[in-house]
This record gives sequence, structure tokens and C-alpha cells, in this order.
Amino acid sequence: MVPSVRGDKRGKWSSDLVLDLYSNLLVEIWEVVSALIGEAILAFLFTLAIRKLGEKYSFLNSLKVSEEGVFIEGVREDCRTLAPVEIHRGFQGLINHLSHLFSALAEGVINKELFPKVFPKFKEAERIISQK
Amino acid sequence: MRLIFKNLNVLRSTINAISTSIEIKEIVESAGNNLPNLFDFSSFGVFWKEDLLLFLFQEDSCPPPFTEEVVKNMMSVFSILGEESLERDRITLQIEKRKMRPRQMMMDPQATLKSHLTLPLTVEGEVLGCISLNSDQPNAFDAQDLQFLSVIGYQMAASLKHFQRLSSIKNIAIYDTLTGLYNRRHFEERLGAEAQKSFYGGTPLSLVMMDIDYFKKVNDTFGHTEGDRVLCNISSLLKNSIRKKDTVARYGGEEFILILPETGLEESYMIAERIRRLVEVTPFDVGQAQVHLTISMGISNFPSHRAKSKEELIRMADQALYDAKRGGRNKVCIFSGKSAQWIVPT
Repeated sequence: MVPSVRGDKRGKWSSDLVLDLYSNLLVEIWEVVSALIGEAILAFLFTLAIRKLGEKYSFLNSLKVSEEGVFIEGVREDCRTLAPVEIHRGFQGLINHLSHLFSALAEGVINKELFPKVFPKFKEAERIISQK
Repeated sequence: MRLIFKNLNVLRSTINAISTSIEIKEIVESAGNNLPNLFDFSSFGVFWKEDLLLFLFQEDSCPPPFTEEVVKNMMSVFSILGEESLERDRITLQIEKRKMRPRQMMMDPQATLKSHLTLPLTVEGEVLGCISLNSDQPNAFDAQDLQFLSVIGYQMAASLKHFQRLSSIKNIAIYDTLTGLYNRRHFEERLGAEAQKSFYGGTPLSLVMMDIDYFKKVNDTFGHTEGDRVLCNISSLLKNSIRKKDTVARYGGEEFILILPETGLEESYMIAERIRRLVEVTPFDVGQAQVHLTISMGISNFPSHRAKSKEELIRMADQALYDAKRGGRNKVCIFSGKSAQWIVPT
């Protein structure tokens, strides 16, 4: 069961932590992948992934994507009432879908660079939300 | 370090070659000619969504099953990117084979696709197609290959977009937007070229000017939208009734004109008469109803009518059309000096 966040100090704090963690991770992904395939293609792939995952996790639709990068600020407002685990699942789904797109395009070339950065962050997010 | 500089120089000249190309085939060839100096690959593909064209530039020894795998893979990646599925049968494949490998490294006839890099060709968030490097070797490409391919892809996308814009301007310049026939401006250019050929070469040339009879009634009764529909239907009928070497254009309003190169008077009369009869028996949809329409036609010919310029040839066809109208419409008239000779259809 997804724990409620509203009125729960610990929950709010966890949500912010999860959001910060994914905000940093998206910046890292952007830096690594844009160096490989360029900003315009990456922005296009992000938009594609958000459109796909946004159906299930509507807060992802508030992510702003441009050739300058991906910006999470709009998401904070939407996540105020969401459980940290839900935020984690949404971002995890988004990153997994991006990873699937990278794999379709370049097999392991992009994911090989990303995996060492992404995997520990997923683990970290899981650690945060499992703290009671 | 020296290798990186060498590669950067090759990359620069590749980009330069792509950016100075103006036709899609030229863009693909510029890339294809330069890529073997940058990458070790078996096949390089460019998919152009607008025309559903897939260009493959590949090693001479590429076996057909490998080619088919490349095509399938590119279609599959494009479907993921474009979020639309593509039918293989609708894709036009253009393959150019080059000897890129020494004899001892020729591809195995059983070779399969082992690795690829595929990137979308995007401009302003729009996917124009995709490019792909393919190999029969596993793990053939690395991060630097991907970086170089993306730089090439950006330049190709920009050049292709430029080509797309040019084509659309070209289309606006030569086609009538309603009917899709050539417009009057293009007709005059074509006639200029054909007249020059005939006047200097002595080959016959006919001009057929035609006008839909009582077309105003269609507009007045059914409205201009239905009138436009009739114009479109007659235009496709005309387009399907001419030979490859002929030109049909919308001359204005409900007037059309045909250039019939290397065609004597008798043959042009037969062509015009066939079209007149075809229009006469064809029912045209207007609103919920169907109407029958007729057309009047006037013919002028070089050398029969001794026209000395294209303008004179047009004037003569126009005069003959006027006579067909005056003679009761639904007729084909041949220019004959003062008053045209008209023939009553049987």
C-alpha cells in the first residue's frame, strides 16, 4: 500500500529527497547523453518518453524539456500530494523507457555510459522510500 | 591524438559535402561517399519519411538477407520514434553498392545484422526520417562513432529540411493549388521550350485550349465548393487522358490547356475529340446530385497554322475555342484563319 504523504512530515521530506535525487539524475543523464547524440535528439527522446509515461504518471507531464535541458521545477507542485514511492515509480518508469529508446537506437553504447550513474540512484531512491 | 584530428577532418569534409548538396539523392551520396573514411560498417541507411524512401549505401558483398534485416531494423526503430507503424511494402528501396572491403574481408553470404547505430533525423521536434550504420560484426560501434554519426545526422536533417522547403516552394511555383495540374506560369515555360524545339527542329506541335461549357451554372446552382470539386474531377480526367510527353495545365478559371509535342493536326484532333467525348459521358458528383457537363475545345498547330511564336499559337487556339463556343459548344474546332472550321460531334 502506498503511504499517504499529506500531513506526514517524514513523507514530505522523503518526497523532496526523491525529487532532488531524480532531478540530479536527470541532469546527469542529460549531460552524458547529449554529449553522445546532441541536445535536439535527446530533447525529442525525452518528450517521447514523457508522453508515453505521462499517461500513467500524470505529474511527469509537468517536466519541461527543451534543447537547454530537462527541468523538474513544475513537477514539485504536482508531487506535493503524492507518495514518495509513486514519484520514484514514475521517474523510474521514465528512465527505464528512455533506456529502452537508447537501446533501440544504439544498443548498449549509451546505456553502458549511463548504467553506472542510474543504478546507484535507483538503489538510493529505494532506500529513501523504505525508511519508515 | 593524430587519429582524432584525422577523423575530425574527415567529419568536417563530410559535413561540408552534405551541406552543399541540394537534392535528397545527392545528400545521401555525399554522406555515403565519405562515411567509409570514418566508420567501419557494412551498410549505411537513410530513411526519408515524406517519400517513404530508404536509401542503402552498402558494401558490395552485402548478402540480401542482411539487407532485409537492415531494412526491418530501421523500420522498427523508426516506428518506435515516429510512433507509427510502417508497412514494408510501401517503402521504396534504393540500394547503392560499393567495394568498401578488400577481397579477403568480404561478407559471409550467411552474415546477419550484429550491431547498429540508428538516429532520428529531427528538425524542430519533427522526425523527418532516420539514419543507420549497420555491421555484421558484434559491438562494431563505440561512443565516438555515435558522436560522429549524430553530427552527420544533424547536418543531414538540416539539409533535408532545406530540400523539403525548396521542394514545397517549387511545387507552389509550378502547380495549381486547387487542381494539382501545372499552373499557367509553368505552362508558358513548357510551351516556350516545346515551341523552340519545334520552330527550330521543324517537328509538329499542337495546342488545345478548352473551356467547360456553362460552368457558371454549376457554381450558381451548387455553390463554389461543389464547382471546385468539378474542376478537380475534370482535372484528374484530363491528367489520365494524356500521353507521357504531353502537358496539361489549368489556364485560368474553368479553362485548361494541353501541349501536344510532336503531334500533327489530325492526331491532336483525335486526342481532343476523345477527351471531349469522355467528359460528355462522365457523370460528375455535385452535392447529392450528378451532372453531365461538356467542354469546347480549340486547336492550333505548328507548322499547319504558320505560327511564328508561342504567343501566336496560343492566340490561334483561343480563336478556335471561341469559334467552338460560338458554334454551339461541345465541339472541337481547328483554327482556320478568319473563322475556325468546326466539326459537329456525331
